[in-house]
Amino acid sequence: MKRSNRLGTGFQSNEEIRKRNTQRIKTVADRSMARVVGPRKIWSRALLFKLRNRARIQVGLRKRCLVSKKKKVLRKEKKVQVISREPNRADNLRKLVPGGDSMDICSLLEETAHYIKCLATQVKVMQSIADLYST
Amino acid sequence: MDGSGDNNGDLGYQNRAESVMNCPSSGMNTNPFYASAWDPVVSLSRPGNFVGSSTGSQSEFSNSPFPIVMENPGISNTCHLVRYPSDSGFIELVPKFPGFGSGNFSEMVGSLGLTDCSQIVNAGCPPNYKEANNESTSHGAQRQEDHQLSEETTIGALPNGKRRRRVAESNSPFDPNKNAEGEFQKYPSGESSDSAKELDEKKQKIEQNRGANSCGKQVVKQTKDNPQSREAPKENYIHVRARRGQATNSHSLAERVRREKISERMRMLQELVPGCNKITGKAVMLDEIINYVQSLQQQVEFLSMKLATVNPELYNDVERIQSKDILHSRGGNEAIRGLSPGTNSHPVFTWDFSTWHTSHSKSQSTFFSSTSCYIR
Repeated sequence: MKRSNRLGTGFQSNEEIRKRNTQRIKTVADRSMARVVGPRKIWSRALLFKLRNRARIQVGLRKRCLVSKKKKVLRKEKKVQVISREPNRADNLRKLVPGGDSMDICSLLEETAHYIKCLATQVKVMQSIADLYST
Repeated sequence: MDGSGDNNGDLGYQNRAESVMNCPSSGMNTNPFYASAWDPVVSLSRPGNFVGSSTGSQSEFSNSPFPIVMENPGISNTCHLVRYPSDSGFIELVPKFPGFGSGNFSEMVGSLGLTDCSQIVNAGCPPNYKEANNESTSHGAQRQEDHQLSEETTIGALPNGKRRRRVAESNSPFDPNKNAEGEFQKYPSGESSDSAKELDEKKQKIEQNRGANSCGKQVVKQTKDNPQSREAPKENYIHVRARRGQATNSHSLAERVRREKISERMRMLQELVPGCNKITGKAVMLDEIINYVQSLQQQVEFLSMKLATVNPELYNDVERIQSKDILHSRGGNEAIRGLSPGTNSHPVFTWDFSTWHTSHSKSQSTFFSSTSCYIR
């Protein structure tokens, strides 16, 4: 996710603002959802980890942009434990569920079930908030 | 246990009760007694299995004569408990049985509380039975597994391969707690009158004998049951029994357990994903699950976009809030409850959606919401 440099340009189109806000809201939603679940589930841990890394990178980028615009330092994200497997039908599911790469099928299914429940609830909450604002 | 058991007015009753408890301790010595009618409590080969509170009364138990057991026809029908739960609760339960000799087990069970009943039933139920039930109810399976695992510690002391799980000849005792009937049929050789230590040999013979008496489905192929899943790993493992006509290799057993776990989870997912009731087959089901997860994630994104547009913010403070971990505070705001449908076997969890701080300018600030949502 690339973030535009607010300080640099000083001017942003509405589109970009909206995109940025969308991104932020989504981050907040995901983060709070994972926070509630806590470290009890693999996917929540993985999600929190990912979000934290992302925040760190962005903060790092911003700070460095203050110093110099031209240098782009990309911090290498820590590699999640890679387990090589034969291509499986469940690979797509692994991509969808956070932290799904390092799970066996059995726990993957369990995590998916819990993840689905949490996602559904998140959708409901956000829907109700949107309704609250639109009325 | 109420002390010496003398509090029971009925001496005969007490003797019966004692003899029940007594059987395991002296069951080894008196095999011929059990030849005919009674399914003794086998796995209690050690008195240590009883709780410490009962050990004091063990001595008087051992004094009661055996013929009482055989004289009482009621017991032969009723005493099918295989394993007592390792807590003292069961010891206390025995005197409570109303007509221990006369009534059948279901009455006894019925007189107890449901929790006790489930304890006994889960204790006495063979793991195959549990395994068979695992396929039907995931919730039940959770319970059973818990009980299984809690029982492992007591069973660990028993010698290898000498564990013998029996099921009551009458299916009724276990019906209230399990969807018994259909699965009970699967159980290969529930009945055997042999008791104690030399289970391996006697089991084979008696199984063959009894097999003829048991229900029709089980008559066929007795021999395959003999090399039972005694190779199943002991001690803190989930005990699995090979069913009729299935390979008894330990690898294939583990494989089967794994497969059943997976299918159980697939069934759970099938309930979660709407419109998947008629789908049979893992591949199609997986695709449906993937689609559903994708659609849910898209919905979240769409809703976040909607919220971003609906909420005219010039400055969104979210990162600051996140970095300060304010999200976790539940600053007493709106609570949205009952959003999700009711009964679920999942644990409750509370959910703080977000604490927002939006400000048009430095002077203004509006707090949006911190929503708690209880999911049951």
